[in-house]
Amino acid sequence: MSTETAPPTAREPVDLVEWYFEQGWTDGLPVVPPTPESVGAMVTALGGEPERVEARVPPRWGALTREVLAVNLVLAGCRPAYAPLVRATMRALCTPHFNLHGVQATTHMAAPLLVVNGPVRNEIGMNAGANVFGSGHRANATIGRAVRLVLLNVGGARPGDLDKSTLGHPGKYTFCIAENEEASPWAPYHVEQGYGPDDSTVFCIAAEGPHSVTNHVARDPEGVLDSIASAMSTIAHNNAVSSGSCAVVVGPEHAATIAAKGWTRSDVRRYLWSQAANSWDDVSFGERYGRIYNRNLPKWYPRRPGARIPVVPDPDDIHLFVAGGDAGRFSAFLPGWGHMTSPVLRAVDGRPPAGRAPCVDGTCEL
Amino acid sequence: MSSRQTLPSGQTVFDPRGAVTAARIRLAPRPATLRGARLGVLDNSKWNASRLLRRTVAALAGDGGPAAVNRYVKDSFSREATDALLDRIAAENDVVLTAIGD
Repeated sequence: MSTETAPPTAREPVDLVEWYFEQGWTDGLPVVPPTPESVGAMVTALGGEPERVEARVPPRWGALTREVLAVNLVLAGCRPAYAPLVRATMRALCTPHFNLHGVQATTHMAAPLLVVNGPVRNEIGMNAGANVFGSGHRANATIGRAVRLVLLNVGGARPGDLDKSTLGHPGKYTFCIAENEEASPWAPYHVEQGYGPDDSTVFCIAAEGPHSVTNHVARDPEGVLDSIASAMSTIAHNNAVSSGSCAVVVGPEHAATIAAKGWTRSDVRRYLWSQAANSWDDVSFGERYGRIYNRNLPKWYPRRPGARIPVVPDPDDIHLFVAGGDAGRFSAFLPGWGHMTSPVLRAVDGRPPAGRAPCVDGTCEL
Repeated sequence: MSSRQTLPSGQTVFDPRGAVTAARIRLAPRPATLRGARLGVLDNSKWNASRLLRRTVAALAGDGGPAAVNRYVKDSFSREATDALLDRIAAENDVVLTAIGD
C-alpha cells in the first residue's frame, strides 16, 4: 500500500475554517463553518423568512437579512436559542440615535457593550457572576462575538478600513454581560426603565473598557461611591471632553454595603453624579494651548477657573448595573464615547415598555 | 438573494456580508471658479476642523474669491446633519466647504 498522498484536485474538500479566514470574514479567530442545516435552524429560531431584512448596518449599510444574521450566528458559535437576543441587539444598535455609523468609524476605542436583563439570562445560561467581563461562558462569549461579526461583515467595520479606531479594545471581540439580578439589592435595570421583571431586554452603550474600582475598607455607601467617583473624575476619558453617558457596574459586595444603609439605585446615581467632577482648569489644560471653550460639553457647564464640572450632564446618564461574583469588593466604571451616541434599550421581543416605572426601590420620579 | 455558494469540492459555504443595495450617487460637477460664488462653510463642531476652515476661507478671500460666505454648524460632529440643514445649505450656496479634524 502506497504511503504517498494524492495530489490535491479541485474536487478535494477544503478546510473550511481556513477558507473563511482567506475570505476575510472572521474576527481573527477561527469560526464555525455554517452548514445548510445549522443556518436553517438559526433562521427557524428567528421566525423563518430568510430574506426578511432586520436592519441595514452602517457604515457599509449591508442588508442584515435573517439568513445573513443566521450565518453570522453560526460562525460565532451561537446556539439557536441566542438568536432572538442577537437580533434585538442589532435592531437596537441600528436605531439612529445610537449612531452606529459613528461608533463603528471613530478613532476612539469605544465598542458596543451589551447588558442583558430578565429571564432570558438564565434561560440561555448567561453569566452575571464571577468574571462577568471575562471568558468562560458560551452565551456571553458567542452573543458578543456574533454582534461583532455582524459589525465587521455586514457593517464593514474592518480595522483600518471603515473602522478607524486608533487602539480599539478587547471588547471588540466580545462585550456582553448580564445583570446579576439575583445578587442585586435593587430592582433590575430594565425595571427602573419601565419594563416588567418578566421582560427580557438588552441595553447597549458605546463604551471604553471597564476600569476596576477597588475599595476593601469602606463600610458605608459614601466610601464605596467615592472610590467609583474617583475613577470617573479624570480628564483622560471621552466623557470628560465629549459629555454623553457612561456605565457603572457595582459588584455585589459593594452593592450590599450601599444598600445596607437604605440607599436606592437613584441615590447611587445621584451621589455619583454630584461627586464625580473635573476641574475646568484641567479640562481646559489651564489654557496652556490657548483659550478653550469646548463645544462638545453642555452650554451650561461653568467655564471659569476653579469651577467643577460634571462628568456627565445628568444622573440619568449614569447607567447603573449590579454584576460580578459574590466575593470581592470591586466595582467598575466604563466611560462612554460621548454625546455623539445615545444608549439604547430594547426588549428581546421588541415590545415597548409599559412606561417608566414611577417608583423604583422607594424612589418616585415626578 | 441567498448567501450560499457551492465550492468545486461540492461543499456549501455562506457569504456573511449581506448585499448593499443603495444606489451610487454621483458627485456634482466641480465648479471652474469660485469668483462670485456663494460659499457655504459647514463647521462640524470639532476644534481643529473649525481652525482649518477659518484659515481656508481666509486663503480663498480676495480677487477671484466668493461673493458671499455663509456659515453653518452641525449639532454633533459625528451625527449626520439634519435634512433641514442640508436643504438650507443647498438652497443658499453654490459651493460647500467642510472639514474634519480631531
